[in-house]
Parts: sequence; structure tokens; C-alpha cells
Amino acid sequence: MKRKKDSFGLRLARRLFLGTKILFKLALLLPIPIFMVAFSYKVDRSGLFQGDLAPRQVVDLLLEGKDVTNFEQMDERQIVRLYTQNLDPDNVPISMGVGSSRVLQVTREVADTDSFFNLGVTGADVRDVMTSYYLCVKEGKIPQVLIWSVDPWVLYGSEAALDSRADSELYNEFLQQVLGIDTGYEEPDQVELWKALADPAYFQGNMEYYFRNRQGALTDDSGQLIPFTEVQGDPCQQSATIKRSDGSVLYDVAFRSHTSDQILSDAIAQSETFNSLHMEGFTELGETECRAFDAFIRYAETQGTRVILLLTPFHPFLYDTLLSRAENYSGFFQVENWIRQYAEDTGTPLYGSYDPLILDGIKESDFYDGVHCTSEALEKFFPGIWQALEEAYKGITPHVLSLKNRTTAAERISW
Amino acid sequence: MDFNTLIFLGFFAGTAVVYYALPKVLKPLFLLSASYCFYLYKPENARLVTLLISATVITWCSGLAIAASRKLWVRRLFLCIAALTCGGILFFYKYFNFFNSVLWGERATLLDLSAPLGLSYFTFQSLSYTLDIYQKKLRPEKNFLYYALFVSFFPCIFTGPIERAGHLLPQFHRPRRFSYQGVSGGAFRMLWGYVKKMVIADNLDVFISAVYGSANQMDGPMLAAASLLFSLRLYMDFSGACDIAIGSARVLGYDLLENFNAPFAATTFADLWRRWHMSLTGWFRDYIYFPLGGSRCAPARHYANLLLVFVVSGLWHGAAWGYLLWGLSCGLVQLIGRFTLPARQRIARHNLLYRSSLFQLWWQRSIVYILFSLCFIFFACALYGADTAVVYGGLLTGWADFFREPSLFAGTAAGLGLGGVTGLILLLLTPIILTVEGQGRVSDWIRRQNWALRWTLYYGLAAALLFFGAFGQSAFIYQQY
Repeated sequence: MKRKKDSFGLRLARRLFLGTKILFKLALLLPIPIFMVAFSYKVDRSGLFQGDLAPRQVVDLLLEGKDVTNFEQMDERQIVRLYTQNLDPDNVPISMGVGSSRVLQVTREVADTDSFFNLGVTGADVRDVMTSYYLCVKEGKIPQVLIWSVDPWVLYGSEAALDSRADSELYNEFLQQVLGIDTGYEEPDQVELWKALADPAYFQGNMEYYFRNRQGALTDDSGQLIPFTEVQGDPCQQSATIKRSDGSVLYDVAFRSHTSDQILSDAIAQSETFNSLHMEGFTELGETECRAFDAFIRYAETQGTRVILLLTPFHPFLYDTLLSRAENYSGFFQVENWIRQYAEDTGTPLYGSYDPLILDGIKESDFYDGVHCTSEALEKFFPGIWQALEEAYKGITPHVLSLKNRTTAAERISW
Repeated sequence: MDFNTLIFLGFFAGTAVVYYALPKVLKPLFLLSASYCFYLYKPENARLVTLLISATVITWCSGLAIAASRKLWVRRLFLCIAALTCGGILFFYKYFNFFNSVLWGERATLLDLSAPLGLSYFTFQSLSYTLDIYQKKLRPEKNFLYYALFVSFFPCIFTGPIERAGHLLPQFHRPRRFSYQGVSGGAFRMLWGYVKKMVIADNLDVFISAVYGSANQMDGPMLAAASLLFSLRLYMDFSGACDIAIGSARVLGYDLLENFNAPFAATTFADLWRRWHMSLTGWFRDYIYFPLGGSRCAPARHYANLLLVFVVSGLWHGAAWGYLLWGLSCGLVQLIGRFTLPARQRIARHNLLYRSSLFQLWWQRSIVYILFSLCFIFFACALYGADTAVVYGGLLTGWADFFREPSLFAGTAAGLGLGGVTGLILLLLTPIILTVEGQGRVSDWIRRQNWALRWTLYYGLAAALLFFGAFGQSAFIYQQY
């Protein structure tokens, strides 16, 4: 007898049931790939997603509010990148500092707020400054106040003003994506990167790494010990330079205890090698750099960030030595005047000067060497962000045009 | 495309989904396209795809001609054409250089030949089709599409099993509808195969290749351990590949021939060979051994037939003396087994230990396994490039030290890759795999289990694969034959 064909509804119901059954069974298997992907992303032994292991360790400690040892061995630019990446969006510091090592003495005390982090990196060029802030914007962790310690080479339009450690790729991205300047930047292919998450071999590597590091000291992908740990004991009594939890740097006790002769000796040495500070051939301001400076400040303002400019002084001996060779550094001596005029024109708060002599109370003992002044020196001319903002709000811009740095050899004092 | 790559899994999943979504009439064409895509994925195959196409076209036409003609000479002519095509391709790409150097020694001019993958499989399949038609066991396939799919069907083209037209072609004619049991059973079989290959075989290979790689520095216990484990590694590798092939075909709704039947449960050497690489031994039995007279002839002829089949089987694996000697040694062990059978049976009757059937079973299995492993030393040496004389000679050395200080052996073995995870796999996972396979087809076995055990096993196998699988490390051994 011929079997009666099932009705359409029955067939549909059967198919729906089968489809649901298959989906349910597949869903039961999902925890395995989900676990694999999540674990690989979290452990990430090659730093594909979370950044390299050593900087990650530093950033983890900083975010826990701890000071970290071995500043000299840190990849500071990676730390900035990972700090902005891993920072809790609900706890973004109100204020951040950018610049070279000359900004690294800006502490919470100097900024006059506990909500401060110093993003400065040693040898920072203009690209470092802009990309540090750009990273904050990219991650949606924008500070309300940006203390920019402007180094003179920021306005120098030469290859010599650039630091090889800066992330030029990120800078090109910033110029193209944000400022609309065509740099030929191309979005990196993320597919290859994300493939690693689905790679069981990467998962196994992470598993091995995880279990290896569960017992004992942290090691990197190649098994080398990660040298960054929490500072033990009094931070001020450390024998090596440390990174404070606010991003600033506390030099080792020996360096901080230099006598005035030792400081002068350092300043003399640095005055001889001053060109190496991105200054060789700096005889005039870079036009593009000046425009980029303005564009950056305007961009920061569009993001809701108030920029405070800071000019940190050089050692008196070093400054006077430069004055004696003023024709070689005419660009350097133009920078401060240009910035003062810019601050006046735009109402941008500006504090300090490259010339230590025109700042009240700055002495030779306020320096660690020729180019780095102490936190105490900064406090002598920078009142902190709250007062700076108040003064800016009231339209008071002290020291902007009233101060004038020395720019000719005739104005130098004898040593 | 290798089975143990993510790209294959992606390809296979996509193929399966599209295959079931397509109307019936388009399915064979789609599968044929997918099979050629699979084959052409490797650039070295793309260069030699004409060989596959030639073998397909010529054997198909020959099959039609043989079936259409009643004249014996015509039938023989076309059989010869098919045999010469398949045999010629196989001989030229696989054996020309070997026989050339055997005949001419150092004066031989060797050609730069690289055989396409799956050469031994598709030539044997297409040749068996023609032979079956010639022997009137099979009617020719009229539809070229189905025949081309039979020759190039992607689950079995690289690692077998060597299919028979009478088994697979009728399945292409019948419409394949989605079957939940079939798909889930096939997927489990694939998972099973992946675990065998990537968790067991590849982890064992670390130790074995380390030992065979520096065989001249190894002593007897280490060489013995590596040789005993090589048989297991080879089984897990090859049967794992077959599990994946059979499982993936099952997902698509097709049944392939089984290639293994718990070979290490065999209690005689002959029994082991009936359970090992069954599609190849079946091929040799049907097309070489039987036509030569098989066992229905004078004993001397019978023994010669047996020996010949094993030698040819050795050569099938590779054009090298090692493979040839391996085949010969297996044949000789088989013959010795036959010669000594009455004497052994007499001794067994007086063996008190054999009163325990359990002891007898495991004793016989162990002896067979050891004999099998001893023969496979030729095979392993050919595979790892070790000197056979060194390995066989080395087997007898260092035993006094081993019994005096076994911990030293254990430490060295662990250092060579036999400790930790591999040890765990050997002790826990391998017995489970072998026990389950002793119960019959794993896809049937798993269906008989309750929900909780089934899912525990799914998760356990997946976790073993994820945690201990060797990803992207080695291809399947039998892929190169």
C-alpha cells in the first residue's frame, strides 16, 4: 500500500525540530572554542592583543597604584600604549602629562591633583607627544587637562628632531585619520592577527606559558625573566631609577644626591653634546611643525581637553653656553618667543621658560643635570592645574608676554 | 589540502552545508568540483592534475569498451590500455628512478620527478574498476560524472581507503538526504581520527624520530622502545587518517570501506594482516593473489604467491629497498608461521600457562605485536632515513645497563620526549582508544552509549585535542604513498 505523503505542516515542523536540535547540540559544543579564544586573548604570550609581556607587567603594576623598578629597561612607548589600552574607562585621570624626560618630574604634587598620570617618554619627539594623546582619544580615555611640556625640538622641521623610537606608523595614522593629512597610511590587516585567536597552537603556547608563570617569577615568551617588579621599601631610597605609580620618574638616590659640582659637570658635558638632543642645525622654526602644533592644540580642545603648556628650564650653564653659540641655535631661541606669542593669541595657559634666569627662585641646585630640573623647581613656577585653569578662565595669563628669555650672547652671564 | 589543518575543516564544513542545500541533480557535480578543488589546493598536484584526468578518462573509456565488446582480444586490448595507463603513470612517477638506479647503479640518469599526492590510491581505484568490468563483476558506469567522482572523491583520494567501484558508485546514484545520525556519527569519527593522529601519533613521533634520527648513538632498550612504539604510532597515524576520511564521507552521506579492524587484537600474524590496511590487502588479494592461484595450488606456488604479494605491498609503499625488505620480511614471518604452525600447536597443548585463556590471548597478542614491530623497523628506517643494520644491530646492545639502572633509561626516554604529556597519553588515552575500537565501529559504539557518557567523551576528546594535539606539525604518513 502506498504510504500517504506527510502534510506540509508536519514536514515543516519536523525540519524545525531537527534544526533546533542541531543548533542546540552545536551550542553545547560552543564552550570549547569560546574558552580557547578567551584564554588566548587573556594570556596572549606573544603580546598580539595585550602588548608585550614585560610592558604589560609594568602597566599592571602601575594601574594597581604601585611603583615599578628598573625604569631604564622599560619600553616607555609600549607602556604608554598599554596604559591607555588597559586603563579603566571609569577612572581616567583628570590630567595627563606629555613630553620628553623633561616632563617626567611632573608628579601628582606638581600637578596639584591626585588624578594625574604622566605619559612622558624619554627622547619624545613631536610624534610621541601627539600619538600619546591620540592613543587616549582612540581608547576613549580622554583627560580633561593635558600638561604639555614643550621641548624646543618640537618646532624643528628636520629629521634630526625625530627620535627613532617613536611610533611613526601610529603618527601617520593620527595625521591621516585625525588631521586629514595624507601620509599614505594604510589600515593594518587585522584578519591575520585575529586568526591567532582561533589557532589551537597559540592556545597551547599560552597554556604552557600560563602554567610556567603560575609558579615563581614572571618570564617572557622566550623564558627570560621579566625584570619589572613592585618597588619594595622607601621609594626615595632606591638604588635604581623607578617609575612612580603616577607615571613620573624618581631617579636613583645617588643621582639625586649629586653635589653642585657634579651637576655642573653634567651640564658642561651636555652642553658639548647638545646637538644630540634633536638640536643639530636648528636655525629656524619649521613652518609645518608650527602649524601642526596649533592643529594639535585645537584638536585636543575639540576633544574636550584643555592644554596647559609648560616650558621647563635648562641648567643656567647650559643655557649660557647655548647663548654663546646663539647663531648655531637661533631656531632654539625663537621657539620660546613663538610659543609665548601663540599662548597670548590663543589664550592657552603657559608656564615656565627655557631660560632659568628669568624664573623666580630657580637655582643650580634645582637641576639634576643640564636638561632635567627637579619637581621642586617646577613647583616654583607652575601652580598646578586648578590654579592654571582658574587663571585661564579669568583671562589672566601670567608670565606669557611679561617674561622674555635671553636670546643673544650679549645677555649671557659669565661662569 | 591536509586533513589536519583548519583550512580543511573550513573547506569541509562549507562543502557539507552547500552540498545539503543543493538540489539532488547538482550534488554529484558539486562534489566533483569540491574534490578537484581539494586536490588542486596543493600546487604540486595542480601541475600534475592531467595525470588524474588521464587516468579517469582512459579507464572510463576502457571500461565502456570492455563491456561493449564480446571479443576477447578487444577486451584484453582495452584492459591493457587501462593497465598500462595506470601502471605506467604509477611506475614512471614512483618507481622509474628506483629501478633505473637498481639496473644502472651510479651510471643511472635520475629524473627530477615528484609524484602527485594520492597517486597510488587513484591509480589502484581506477584500475580495479576496469579489472572488475573485465572479470564481469561490475557493469560499466555510463555517467562520466559519477565515475570521475569515484576516482577523485576527496575524502579518500590522499590517504585511502582504496575504494571499489562496486561499493561506492551505487551510492553516488542514490540520493543522499540529510541524516542527523549520519552527520553526527561522521563528525564523531572525524574527531576520533584527529585525536589518534594529532594527540597520539604526533606526540609519539617526537620520541621515535629523536631515537631513529640518531640511531647510532642509541642503545638496545631505547631502539626497542622506539620500534615498539613506531607500530602504534603508524597505526594511529594511518587509521586516524582513515577515520577522518570515513567520517567526512559519512557526514556527506557516503560509506567508505573500513581499512582497519582492531589489528593489535590479532592473535596470529596472518590475522593481523587481515585486519591491517584492509582495502590494500583486499586489492592485492583480489587482483594479484587470487589470479596467481592463491592457496588453491601446490604449496610451493602458494608460498611464492604469498611472498610476492607482500613484496609488491612493500613496493607499493615506496620505491626504496627498505620498503621492499619490509614487505619481504613480513612475507617471511607469515611463511615461517605457517611452517611452524603444527609444532606450535603441539607445544601449546602442553603449555600449562595456556590453560588461562586470558594469558594465552595477551601472550599471543604480544608476540604478534613484537614480530610486527620487528618487521616494521625496515619501514621506520626508510621513513626516518636511519640505517637498518645499525638499528637491528643496536637492538642487542645495552641491555645489561638497562637492567642494572632502569631509571637512567627512563630519564633519557623522558628527555627524548617520552615523558610528561606523551607518557600520560600512552598510559591513559591509548588504552581507551584501543579498547573502544575492539568493540566495533566507533560511530556505532558511541551511539549505544548514554547521553552523559557520550558528551563526556565529546568534551574529553576535544579537550585532549586542544591541550595536547600537535597542530601544524606533520602530514599523514600514508599521504605520501
